[in-house]
Amino acid sequence: MTQRTRRLGLVVALAAGSPLLGAGRGHALPPGAPKIGMVCTPGAVTGTTHTFNLVTMAGHISTPDGNDVLMWSYANADPPDDGAFQFPGPVLCVTQGETVVVNLRNTLPEPSSIVFPGQEGVSSIGGSPGLLASEAAPNGTVAYTFAASSPGTYVYESGSNIAKQLEMGLHGALVVRPSLGANYAYDATTQFDPSREYLNLVSELDPDLHHAVETGATYDFTKLRNRYFTVNGRAFPDTIQDNGSALLPSQPYGALVRIQPNDAGTNPLPALIRMINAGALNHPYHPHGNHLRQIAQDGRLLRDPAGTSSASTERFGETIGSGQTQDYLLRWDDQDHWNPNGPPVQRLLPQPNYRSLVFKNGVTWYGGNPYLGYKGTLPTGTASLNVCGEWYFPWHSHALNEFTNFDEGFGGMATLLRVDPPGGCFTFPTSTRILVGTLNGGTVANLGLDDAKYYKVNSATTGNPRVTDWYGQFSGVPAGAANLAVTYEGNDSLGATPQTLFIWAWTANAWDQISFVPNVGTTDLTVTSATIASPASYIGRGANNGLVRVRVLTTHTGTASFVTSGDLMKLVYDAP
Amino acid sequence: MGDRMSSTRRRGVRASWLGVVVTVAVGSGLGSGGPVAKAHAATTTLALAATDGYITVPGRETDPLYVFGFIPVDPAASPSQLIATYKGHAQHTAPIIDVKQNDDIKITLTNLGLVQRPDLTDSHTIHWHGFDLPSPLNDGVPEVSVAVPIGKQLTYFYRPHREGTYMYHCHFEDVEHVQMGMVSIVLVRPLQDGTAMNVGGRTFTKFAYNDGDGSTGYDRHFAILLNEVWSGFHDGDRDIQESIPTDYAPQWFTLNGRTYPDTVKPHDDATTSSGITTVNPNYGTSDKSQPISSLVQANPGERILLRLANLGYQQHAMQLPGIPMHVIGQDASLLRNGSVDTSYWTNTLYIGPGEARDVLFDAPPYDPLAPSGSDGRGTYNVYYFKNRDWRRLSNGGAPGPGGMMTEVRVYRDTLPAQTAVSQIHS
Repeated sequence: MTQRTRRLGLVVALAAGSPLLGAGRGHALPPGAPKIGMVCTPGAVTGTTHTFNLVTMAGHISTPDGNDVLMWSYANADPPDDGAFQFPGPVLCVTQGETVVVNLRNTLPEPSSIVFPGQEGVSSIGGSPGLLASEAAPNGTVAYTFAASSPGTYVYESGSNIAKQLEMGLHGALVVRPSLGANYAYDATTQFDPSREYLNLVSELDPDLHHAVETGATYDFTKLRNRYFTVNGRAFPDTIQDNGSALLPSQPYGALVRIQPNDAGTNPLPALIRMINAGALNHPYHPHGNHLRQIAQDGRLLRDPAGTSSASTERFGETIGSGQTQDYLLRWDDQDHWNPNGPPVQRLLPQPNYRSLVFKNGVTWYGGNPYLGYKGTLPTGTASLNVCGEWYFPWHSHALNEFTNFDEGFGGMATLLRVDPPGGCFTFPTSTRILVGTLNGGTVANLGLDDAKYYKVNSATTGNPRVTDWYGQFSGVPAGAANLAVTYEGNDSLGATPQTLFIWAWTANAWDQISFVPNVGTTDLTVTSATIASPASYIGRGANNGLVRVRVLTTHTGTASFVTSGDLMKLVYDAP
Repeated sequence: MGDRMSSTRRRGVRASWLGVVVTVAVGSGLGSGGPVAKAHAATTTLALAATDGYITVPGRETDPLYVFGFIPVDPAASPSQLIATYKGHAQHTAPIIDVKQNDDIKITLTNLGLVQRPDLTDSHTIHWHGFDLPSPLNDGVPEVSVAVPIGKQLTYFYRPHREGTYMYHCHFEDVEHVQMGMVSIVLVRPLQDGTAMNVGGRTFTKFAYNDGDGSTGYDRHFAILLNEVWSGFHDGDRDIQESIPTDYAPQWFTLNGRTYPDTVKPHDDATTSSGITTVNPNYGTSDKSQPISSLVQANPGERILLRLANLGYQQHAMQLPGIPMHVIGQDASLLRNGSVDTSYWTNTLYIGPGEARDVLFDAPPYDPLAPSGSDGRGTYNVYYFKNRDWRRLSNGGAPGPGGMMTEVRVYRDTLPAQTAVSQIHS
């Protein structure tokens, strides 16, 4: 009896003290790391020397079908990671011209090392000579040094017992940014939008091999049969979770790609997709929705024989060979300008009866409307993951046996491309309320389109000054929305009338001014507020979930009555 | 509008072959011809029905292979009419779709259900693989849009701005449905078609791309889809057994759904017969369920365009010994970047899953001393378009040649002109 109690006490103590069993803490990301997009491990820069401290670690990753797989990987020994296990290894981002130093400590039960394919003149200090590189013994160290002379996307990986250690997962991405600038991939022709930089590092694994390593059993390499396929260390649908997701503490990198349509003025630059194949097999990658322009391979720009002109090519399917890297530029050029409010030639997308169609498993990323930025009505019982009418397209291996998690399709080596409406999500009011004045004509729907239809409010008929005061209420704005901006377009019958816009701050229970125009005249004037980067206080919670209120206050000194006419009231935001 | 559309459709049906190609006859679109943008694009209306069926592969003559497939049908037919006529009679591969750049394309998909599996309520979709900028509603991925359940229809809409060679397939549980056979090629003819261009003393009026200089001009074109067949899915789906996709291990290797030597037999259409039939166990009827030939015919000196696509799950290296191949397009893109020519010559063409290639070659002069044969068009030199991997020239492990191979026959006597993609003359 006493023995049992003691043992029980030990078990309880272990559970309480073990951080791995704690709830929801994701892998630490470097400060300023984006939630979506490539995450760079900063290392330490002194002068022109860029130093990283890596340590080999064993850990488990999870697969969407509930499996755990033992992996060996490189971890970042520096804060904030402090050696926490991650798969794949940290993304090392350096600048052309730097001297890169990588210090490696090895905690695995066998010697390990790093090779840097594509880098020249890699020297090492410490360790003992291995076949491909100097190795760190178990509990030993080795340091590598090389000059990052060529910009591009590269892989770093183990050079020891490679049949086992590469399969176990010892690899990571190395990105060399050109000295020209971090918003170029290689040269002046490869400028990209730095907020749209994506890594897609693919690999495959046979869980039986990993299990054999875990239990010390033997494994026959000729019987290799891959069951899981990963992008950035995760299998779909985990690939679309944010970087550092608490659901995937040992797999910190998401693979979701987000873009907006190309626009010469507001969004002229393409996104950059850096692809790496760290697996043993070649993988055919197929992006739905658009061609990708391949600009480079293995850290070298595709050029004509003279070396002066680009030989980039467009692909809707490209096989990336084992160990290769490829760089792509992605633009989204809206040629057809589909627009539900446009002329007939822009309104040709079919609007089917959704009750005659199937939404697989009752869940969809579709918003119920074929036009970008608009949502529609889905049949009752259909759960939609769509925020504001954005579009989703899968990118996936077209060896469709790799588009699986073991035996379940729509998994594995896949991610999603998310196309946001130009400028971000947009929405219009769903209701209005008049605070001072009376309704002259129109409905809230008239605020949804810049046309000749208005929502009109009469001013008070007594008093000096005369006032119209009303607000439009938006619904369905997601918590976590960022970069919110308000656009209001309207006029006043008297002319030269001051107009103030406010937005309701829910917790403060007050209106915050966001715009003031002293002279709104009789012709429509469009006002756009400054962008509110963190608008959480303006998005209702609880009973007011998702509500945003924008108030239009118009004051005219004197005793003349007037009419305020609102043509358009629009909210734009970046969905989480 | 209705009259014009129906007459266009009638002409299209007459010019197309039952089950092989669905298209609008070249030239019947309004204002077609020439690279100048048309003021009014033609509307092409096509229809496909999705159902199950059976095909034959060597070694399985008495135990046909269960498949899913698309069948070309009349867009005006109702779902119940289609079910009564076509349910259980799928073809593999699906018909080749041939359309014109910038036209409005409407494809109505009707799900007829499965005869062999009344318990399997799978929906179907059409995914035009490689199409640029579709609304997700038209991209055919069920999880990010919609799928078509049994007995229902959906009309997909496309306006293809990029000419070239693509493929299409079902994307509902595509790991299964693609291998089960719902696959084929779709090609988009360039606006430049119809304009005469002189290249090296030869005049072309048909082109793979809007090259501006005739460099992708051809005399005859043939669409060939590469694929593999793994009996695991097919027998499993027939017998209500689960298959694990990561066990994938195909035993047959096909071009347009057939293995060699069946690849060189004629099409099954209104005028010719391949002789390939499969007894459909659900009906007892003989179905011509593999109607599409991969035979390539040419006269000496003609320029031939191969429109290739790979919807298998494996990478393939194809050779045409004796004739160098000029790869001028890939993934519906002209291999040219500004003034830089990125096309290449090769003897071994690599094509991965989900990729497309446009290959030009010139048929060599007729040589009576070279390997030859003869058929209904007379005597010819034979060249083999074949997979470099000798294991893929085997039918279910049997000694070859079989599998992923077809013939390029260069005839001594003049052939009639080709008026439709993959058209061959018996």
